[in-house]
Amino acid sequence: MPSRPALPREFIAAHKQRRIMDALAELCAEQGYEATKISDIVRRAKVARKTLYDNFDGKEEVFLAAFDAARDEAIGRVEESCAAVEDWGQRVEAGLAALLGYVAQEPVLARLCMIEALSATPATTRRYEDALAAFVKLAGESLPRSKRLPETIDETLVGGVAWIVYQQIRREQARDAVDLLPQLTEFMLAPYLEAG
Amino acid sequence: MSRPLPRGRHGLTREFVEQDQRERLLAAIAGALLERGYDETTVSLIGSRARVSKSDFYRHFDSKEECFIAAYEEGVERVRARVVAAWDEQTEWADRVCAGLAAGLGCLGREPEWANLLLVEGLRAGPEVYGRFQLAVDSFVPYLRDGAPRPRRGKAAPEEFDEAVLGGVASLVGRQVLAGRADGLERIFPEVAEFALTPYLGPAEARRIISAR
Repeated sequence: MPSRPALPREFIAAHKQRRIMDALAELCAEQGYEATKISDIVRRAKVARKTLYDNFDGKEEVFLAAFDAARDEAIGRVEESCAAVEDWGQRVEAGLAALLGYVAQEPVLARLCMIEALSATPATTRRYEDALAAFVKLAGESLPRSKRLPETIDETLVGGVAWIVYQQIRREQARDAVDLLPQLTEFMLAPYLEAG
Repeated sequence: MSRPLPRGRHGLTREFVEQDQRERLLAAIAGALLERGYDETTVSLIGSRARVSKSDFYRHFDSKEECFIAAYEEGVERVRARVVAAWDEQTEWADRVCAGLAAGLGCLGREPEWANLLLVEGLRAGPEVYGRFQLAVDSFVPYLRDGAPRPRRGKAAPEEFDEAVLGGVASLVGRQVLAGRADGLERIFPEVAEFALTPYLGPAEARRIISAR
């Protein structure tokens, strides 16, 4: 009987990286970034210490990699769901649905991005700010241009949505995030609709 | 407030001296944070800005973090006092919201080191301080909610908008301060106020109210 072909090296490495990042995310949710030690991470991820250091410089780099992967996934889903929709109001709703769906499906990663990132290190805070700016840009692509609305309207709307999602995660209700869809859609569309 | 007391013997009570030192330390940490950021701000630096000795610092606070938390609470109360005073002068809901926002923006705009402490450093100095930032923003929800009109259309209840509005305002104002535009905060009042009123009154009515001010 021929032996099973070995999995490609990159696949195994990526899988281990994923386990390390997920372990860090879980530990941050349980005990916070500061209290989490490398030994905690490798024990939770079931990898050797050497494996972690082969793939990452240290705890912060694991965090940043986990953040980047989650952010890319969330943005990807939002872009994909908006792509096929013509009507801008429905596009806004579709984008919000994709974002909330991601939060509901990945509460631990959502918490890492939206709560832990703000207090872990200065680099993680900057990642958060950059990600927020990326979402502002995305919103700006769907929301209609209006001479009567200030330039900052995209920022304020996204900031308000981020706040609500943050509260939801903090109250341990991330899994029900999709329940927020009607109110957040209405909130985002309100400035563009006449006669409130 | 930042001038030290005269050297040597004076007839001031111990309580007064302590209170004065404490106030100077809180002002000093706000100034130091604007200049250097949280990591580079040391107890020595705070002490020297406040003209308070290190040992006197430690009579008031156990650590830099404790000083920061005290400054944070002081800053929130200052803003709250101005917002609530302005709020109370008005009777109509929309006028109250406008007055409160104007007072808040004005007070933050005039004191950039406090704006920085509350809205920028507060987000970066660890979970305990960030929790206070959150509580501070949430504490304005009852003011916004009190007397708020029900939207004539739409399914969401007005209270669902309160948090989103406050969160959006906090986020926008924070980003302005982060970008070094704290002294321009009063100028963005019209757009902040319009953003706040729109979910409750609709954009046309919100604009009408603000341009009539």
